[in-house]
Amino acid sequence: MVENVTATKNTGETRKPLIPVELTEANWRFWSFILLALIAIYLMTEFQVPVVQGLTDPFYSPTILVLPLVAGFRATCYAYRKDYHRHLFNHPNACNIDVRKDFKGRKYTGETRLFRLENYHRYFWYTAVAILPFFYYDLYIAFTYQAGEFTLSLGALLLILNTLWVTIYTFSCHYFRHATGGNIDCYSCPVNKKSVRRGFFNKISAINHHHEMFAWISLASFFLVDLFIRGVAAGLSINPILLNFKW
Amino acid sequence: MTDINLKIYRFNPEEESVGKFVEYKVPYVDGMVVLDAVRYVQEKIDPTLAIRWNCKAAKCGSCSAEINNRPSLMCKTRVDSIGNNISVAPMGAYPNIKDLVTDISANWSILKKIPPFTPKPGMEKPWRIHPADVERSKEFKKCIECFLCQDVCHVIREHNTKYFGPRHMVKAASMDMHPLDVLDRSEFLDNEGGIGFCNITKCCQDVCPEHIHITDNAIIQEKERAADLKYDPIAMIIKRRKSRKEKVVK
Ligand code: SF4
Ligand code: SF4
Ligand code: FES
Repeated sequence: MVENVTATKNTGETRKPLIPVELTEANWRFWSFILLALIAIYLMTEFQVPVVQGLTDPFYSPTILVLPLVAGFRATCYAYRKDYHRHLFNHPNACNIDVRKDFKGRKYTGETRLFRLENYHRYFWYTAVAILPFFYYDLYIAFTYQAGEFTLSLGALLLILNTLWVTIYTFSCHYFRHATGGNIDCYSCPVNKKSVRRGFFNKISAINHHHEMFAWISLASFFLVDLFIRGVAAGLSINPILLNFKW
Repeated sequence: MTDINLKIYRFNPEEESVGKFVEYKVPYVDGMVVLDAVRYVQEKIDPTLAIRWNCKAAKCGSCSAEINNRPSLMCKTRVDSIGNNISVAPMGAYPNIKDLVTDISANWSILKKIPPFTPKPGMEKPWRIHPADVERSKEFKKCIECFLCQDVCHVIREHNTKYFGPRHMVKAASMDMHPLDVLDRSEFLDNEGGIGFCNITKCCQDVCPEHIHITDNAIIQEKERAADLKYDPIAMIIKRRKSRKEKVVK
């Protein structure tokens, strides 16, 4: 297990291909993930959801064009970076020395070369913030879709939760933490200046601490709520009205 | 608990070219840590066993080893927390000197490369700092230089790059986030320190005995600062327009 190699020589970066080796290696984890994604796309096109009350499934409308932005936001998010570098690329798969599936001699460029793009996470964050109001608009519609009435259905309740998770996920982002105060070294210089910003930074840091959890909860809720809406659109009666009054 | 089956990695460079695990039986004593068991072997069974330790209080950072394949401090790992089949190996990221002792001197030359603490010029002494402002820097000062984070980091251990390693990102961040320091080392870390090789996998954070949030609070912060200076055109314009208080080290 312990080899007598001369320690980490810092010999620097040699000429490496632009396309990271992770994307070309024979690695069943990565390629089975790609295969699953392809199967999912195939199923989506094969089993189309009908148009309901003039509403088309976003998958078959221009709305699909926001998908690369949302996907880009998640793909460059620090939480998911950890997960796919670990579990898709095995760099390393686990921290323990005997089971990490990373080894000497395997090529590695990390977040240099093409993955340097991950440094542009903030731009995807801006688009994510721009998309957020649409979630709230959807909520508004979900409550008021019957003219003059306020309706709370199970679906609307799920939408509330979904919107909440996505909002917390977006604002617990490491970039937002950096922008709100992470880039400041001294809040009260000159000494004892009152600082509101520090309090805000501390709050964002507190939710940022659980960013990974919010990333996964919001992704799961995203899929499940989408599935629920598809179910409703396909005519299943799974959306009971919980509360309804006229105003 | 019954006796401990302790497998210790033995290697004597004067006699052999590769080391091997040797098994010892050590009587279990309530509350003992792995270092106690290893010292029992040294005192009672084989005095030629080479180990390095000092404080036995998880504060000097000398007794780093790989216990059951996980980089840990021998003095902080209780035997009752891992069961009685225990293997102890030296840190694999560093050249072995003898048995459990490794040569960590590569770290001293890296530390010398990091631009040192540079206080703002013309400050009245004594320096006065709001306690809340030093909090961030103080977290990193807890580092005991055990180099377990370096040992577990796959970039240091398995890949030959120019990356300084997590311990050194912590060192740079401790000065960068100090309220009275004038340098910004993030671009230097990106250019020279190879911070781009870190892929946020957080093993360093997992093994740190001082529970420093190495990745979240040091590395990601430095990456974001480097993005401000090097990648994000909007931030670059804003930073250039503001009279820059910090001197950027490239
Ligand atoms: S987070 Fe970065 S520094 Fe820490 S172990 Fe992973 S690659 Fe190494
Ligand atoms: S950062 Fe933690 S793991 Fe790394 S050398 Fe310091 S105390 Fe040890
Ligand atoms: S002996 Fe000092 S840290 Fe273990």
